[in-house]
Amino acid sequence: MATAVVARPAARPQARARDEEVLVWPDLVFVEFISALLFTFTIFILSVILNAPLLDQANPDVTQNPAKAPWYLLNLQELLLHMEAATAGVIVPTVWLIILGAFPYFDRDNDGQGAWFATEGSVKLTVVSAIVGVVGTWLLILWNQGTIASVLNSWFGISGGDTFRFLENSRAIQGNLPWPEWSESIPYLPFELRILDEGFTGFGATTFQNVDLPSFIVEIAIPIIMMVGLPSLLIYVLWRIGWVFTRRDALIVLFSGFVAVNAMLVLAGTGFRGEDQDLVFPWNLSVDEGIPGYQPPD
Amino acid sequence: MAVEQPGKPTLADKIYDKMFHNYVWKSIFRTGYPNTPRNQMLVVATNLFLHLHPTRIHRTHVKITHTYCLGGLTFFMFLGLTVTGILLMFYYVPSVERAYLDIQNIQTNVQFGQLMRNMHRWMAHAMVILVFLHMMRVFYTGAYKPPREFNWVVGVILLVLTFLLSFTGYLLPWDQLAFWAITVGSEIAGAAPVLGPKTRFWMLGGFEVGPESLIRFYTLHVIALPLLAAIFMAVHFWRIRRDGGLARPL
Repeated sequence: MATAVVARPAARPQARARDEEVLVWPDLVFVEFISALLFTFTIFILSVILNAPLLDQANPDVTQNPAKAPWYLLNLQELLLHMEAATAGVIVPTVWLIILGAFPYFDRDNDGQGAWFATEGSVKLTVVSAIVGVVGTWLLILWNQGTIASVLNSWFGISGGDTFRFLENSRAIQGNLPWPEWSESIPYLPFELRILDEGFTGFGATTFQNVDLPSFIVEIAIPIIMMVGLPSLLIYVLWRIGWVFTRRDALIVLFSGFVAVNAMLVLAGTGFRGEDQDLVFPWNLSVDEGIPGYQPPD
Repeated sequence: MAVEQPGKPTLADKIYDKMFHNYVWKSIFRTGYPNTPRNQMLVVATNLFLHLHPTRIHRTHVKITHTYCLGGLTFFMFLGLTVTGILLMFYYVPSVERAYLDIQNIQTNVQFGQLMRNMHRWMAHAMVILVFLHMMRVFYTGAYKPPREFNWVVGVILLVLTFLLSFTGYLLPWDQLAFWAITVGSEIAGAAPVLGPKTRFWMLGGFEVGPESLIRFYTLHVIALPLLAAIFMAVHFWRIRRDGGLARPL
């Protein structure tokens, strides 16, 4: 007799425990009502005391310095300062959003759902990854800005001289190493590949044939190696010392690190980038209309 | 669960009875006033707006510290933004000649105009923050796990839509802040390999931020993106119910 084999669903809705349940009205609706009321009140008070900014009328001839994107995009704008534009502004966020969306397909077991930090050691992992994210982000920003080198030099008298100048920041690797001339144009295709060649001004075709190796190393390779390598290294180390066991643990490290790095990048872009996107302390940032970095035109 | 037994009718009960058990009330709400478990369940089950909820919910899920209402508050911000946004639309014309003057007019000549604009802006910021915090809540409570995988993906799409809604609204005041922020933001998009310049051209309706960009951002901001967001929200909420409500420990 043929038997239809029906796969058991991986996860079924849990059995209901009626005696553990409360009525949505009033118990939940009340909570929702109160929180909606509180938020309306808070937003209302905030709106009474704080006006939305309105600067001078838009003028394409007067460039803002610094010109900043909305704050939630300043993470990307901060990345743009350190690496190649297409990679920082489009590829990295797109790939990250795909990875983020794929979380549940990577971590498929049912452990630790429905309660805060329910798996063993998850608080520990969160805190450690967040600290590593915060410290790591600032170290990388300060290094690439040359701040670390200048502090080492002016405070401690440590200087690598001209020999080690290329370590001051990532651009110095491009500028202060004796790259041979051919390395700046290495062909990887036998012909020039032109994509979307529309032939009118404004849209240059995207061409592929040569790679500028020093620039590629500095603008793409190093940042990508940092972004992929450092989280991987962290997960690997935590695995070796026995903190990371499951896929859920690895995701906690990855996600907490992301939250911390993202927050630091937004913070750096909002509160620490002044004129010409130079790194300054927030109190040295001219703040106008509540917008850090805005310089009223003279 | 202890069931409340009705006692002797008091004056309040009699007023209730007159108010909530009459022909008109029943024609609108079907159930009586929700002061008995039966009516409380019926009101949730028969009301369009309340039936987003189940009639009963697990005890732990009404604890404020379980969700901090973050998802609900994000939705609430969306509703508030719709209301204040519609009010602002009465006074705002998305043309380069008028946009800035209209904002000034809203702030100075329109009754409560400044307040509406402030609320719209602060709620927009709040929504971006809340949606991010909601994502963190879902992650750290492990609520993306089976069978809720796809709802997490819908959530990521809604996160992006929230950014886009906020970003398109950013240009509308047509001041220096708006203009240069969108210039910088669109340059980020324009840096994409191969498709970047074309994408930026479509987005701005030209090579620079200009009149065409303003009308595009306005249309996206007030109709296209909110509709899209509403559709994804409907899917998001419906799937929460289908997947058995909030995640619960096994």
